[in-house]
Amino acid sequence: MMGPQSTTEAGGTGRRVWAPSGPLTLKTVSDHWKTFQNLLSDPAVKALVVDLSGVEAVDSAGLVLLKGLRDRCAAASIAYELAHVPEPFRPFFVFGGLDRPTHEKPSTTRVGENALERLGRLTMETLQDIGELIEFVGSVTVAFLPCCLHPKRFRLKEVLYYVQRSGSEAMPIVFLVSFLMGLIMAFQAAVQLRQFGANIFVADLVSLALTRELGPLMTAIILAGRSAAAFAAEIGTMKVNEEVDALTVMGFNVTEFLIMPKVNALAFSGPLLTLFANASGIFGGMVVGALGLDLTPASFLTEVVAILSLTDVVSGLAKSLAFSILVAMVGCLRGLQTEKSADSVGRMTTSAVVSSIFLIILADAVFTVLFHVFDI
Amino acid sequence: MGALKPPAEDVMIHAEGLTVGYGERPVLKDVTFTVHAGEIVTVLGGSGCGKSTLLKALIGLIRPLRGSVRIRGACITGSDREAALESIRRHIGVLFQYGALLGSLSIADNVALPLEEFTDLPRSLIADLVHFKLDTVGLADYAHFMPAELSGGMRKRAALARAMALDPEILFCDEPSAGLDPITAAELDELLLECNRALGITMVVITHELASIEAIATRCIMLDKSAQGIIAVGRPEDLKNHSADPRVRAFFHRQPSLMRPEAASVAPEG
Repeated sequence: MMGPQSTTEAGGTGRRVWAPSGPLTLKTVSDHWKTFQNLLSDPAVKALVVDLSGVEAVDSAGLVLLKGLRDRCAAASIAYELAHVPEPFRPFFVFGGLDRPTHEKPSTTRVGENALERLGRLTMETLQDIGELIEFVGSVTVAFLPCCLHPKRFRLKEVLYYVQRSGSEAMPIVFLVSFLMGLIMAFQAAVQLRQFGANIFVADLVSLALTRELGPLMTAIILAGRSAAAFAAEIGTMKVNEEVDALTVMGFNVTEFLIMPKVNALAFSGPLLTLFANASGIFGGMVVGALGLDLTPASFLTEVVAILSLTDVVSGLAKSLAFSILVAMVGCLRGLQTEKSADSVGRMTTSAVVSSIFLIILADAVFTVLFHVFDI
Repeated sequence: MGALKPPAEDVMIHAEGLTVGYGERPVLKDVTFTVHAGEIVTVLGGSGCGKSTLLKALIGLIRPLRGSVRIRGACITGSDREAALESIRRHIGVLFQYGALLGSLSIADNVALPLEEFTDLPRSLIADLVHFKLDTVGLADYAHFMPAELSGGMRKRAALARAMALDPEILFCDEPSAGLDPITAAELDELLLECNRALGITMVVITHELASIEAIATRCIMLDKSAQGIIAVGRPEDLKNHSADPRVRAFFHRQPSLMRPEAASVAPEG
C-alpha cells in the first residue's frame, strides 16, 4: 500500500518539497511515480526537495525511483535535493549509486529490420553459404588428390569406423523404410493393374521405380537424417571443445584428418545401402505379389530381372554416390561452421539435415534432366 | 620431456604493432612485446581483455588485422603465412583451456597422435615415448582411459603430455589453472616450472590466477580491456609492489576499489 505523501510549495519560489511517507518499495513506487511525474510536468517547479524523513523502508525499486527523479530533474534543469536521509539507508544509497551520476544506459532495444533489409540480409547469407560450400568442396577435392597418391592417408581405420556407423548400423532402418515402400507401391499399383489382368507389371513398376529413383532418394534422406546430423554434431562439439583448434595448431590438415574419412565412408556405404534398399523394396513388392496377386516369387523375380537393365541399376548407384558425398560434405561443413556454443551445435545439426535434404532433391532434379537429355 | 638443446636464437616471439580482433572490431590495438628464450611470460588481465585472442593470433588461429608476429624468426602474419606456420608448428605446443583432447581417442592415442603423424618412428618406440610422456605428467596408469573418464586436472596434464609430444621449444598455455582446485592448479604450475627449468622450454601462459602468476612467471604482460592493449610489463613482484598504475595494483592486490574514484557522500541533507 502506498503511504501518505505530501507536496508543499515553499514561499512561491517554485521550490517544492516532496515528502513521501511509509515504505518506498516495489509495492508503492508506481503511485509515487505518478506523483513526481505531475511535479515534473509543472513548469512552475524550479527546485525539488525530496524529504525522506517519513520513509520507513526503501528497496531497489525505491532507489531506482529516487535516481530516476534525480536524473529527470537534471534533464529538466530543476534543482534537486535529498533531505533527511535516514542513517540506515545511507550504505544502500551509496551501494546503489545514488551518490554519483547515472551513466548513460546503452540501448537495449534492437533496431528492427524492415522486410527489404531482411530479404537483403537473407540473400547475402545464402550467397555466402553457397560460396562457403563451393570453397569447402574445393578443399575436400584438393585433399582427396594427395590421398590417391598416398593411400595410407585415407585413414582406413577411421573410414571403416564410419562405414560401420553410417552404413551397417543404418541397415535396419533402410530395410524397414524400403520394404514398406515396396509394399505400399505394390498395393497401390495392384489396385489398378488387377483390373486389366496385368498383375505381373507390379514387379516392373516396383523394381524400376525403386532402382532408378526411390532407392537412392530414400537412402540419401535416411543418411541425411542419421549421418549428416551425426557428422555436424560431432565436428561441432569438437569445435566447441577446441579440438579442431588443437588439431590445427598441431599441424594436422583438418580436411584430411576429419572430413575425408567421413566423405569416403559415406561414398562407399551409400551405394551399398542403396543396393540393399532396392533389394528390400523389391522384396516388399514380392510379398504383396505373392500374398495378394497370386504371383509366385519366382515369376515376380523373373519379371524383375527381365525388366531391369544394368543402366537402371548403375544410374541409381551413380545418383546414390553423388547424394552420399553431398550428405557427408554438408554435414561436415555445418560442423565446421559451428560457433563456440551448445546452441550453435543444435542449430547447425538441424541445418545439416535440412540443407542435405534440399540439396539431395536439387541434385535429383539435375540428374533427372541429365538422364533425360542423354537418354539414360 | 622436451628437447634439451640450446635455443637457436634468443628472441623466440616478437609481436610488433599487433592489432587483433573479430571481424573489423579490434580487441587489442598496437600490441608490441618480445619473449626471450627460456622465459615464462604470463599474459594477464581481467576477463574479456583479449588474452585468449592474443594467444590465438600468436599460434596462427586468427589472422591479425594489423601488425606482425615472428615466432623463432618466422613471420606468421606475412604473405607467406601458411609456409611460416608449417615451419613453426613442430616447434610449438599448445595447452588449451580445457585440454582439447580428442574425445574419441584414449589418452595414450591422443599423445601418440602427433608422433604417428609427424614422425616415422616405429610403433614400439612411439609406445615407449607415450609411456614416458604420460609418466612425466603422472598419468602412466591412465593411458587407456578416455578423456571423459578423467578429472579436469588429469585432462589438463594429459593435454600437456600431448602438447609436449614433439618436444616443442615454445609452449603456449591458455589458462592452465582454470577450473582446477588450488592444489591441482599448484601441481600443474610445478609441472610447467619443471619443464621450463629442466628443458629450457619458453612458455607463454595466459592466466589471471595470481597464485600461478607469482609461482611461475619470470615476466608478466598485463592487458587491459579499456586500454585495448598492454598497460604494464615487468616481473610479477615489481608490478605488485611498485606499479604506479591503479589498474595493475588493483589486479595484484585483488582490490577493485583501487581503480575507482573516491566514493562521494550521499547528497547533503536539507
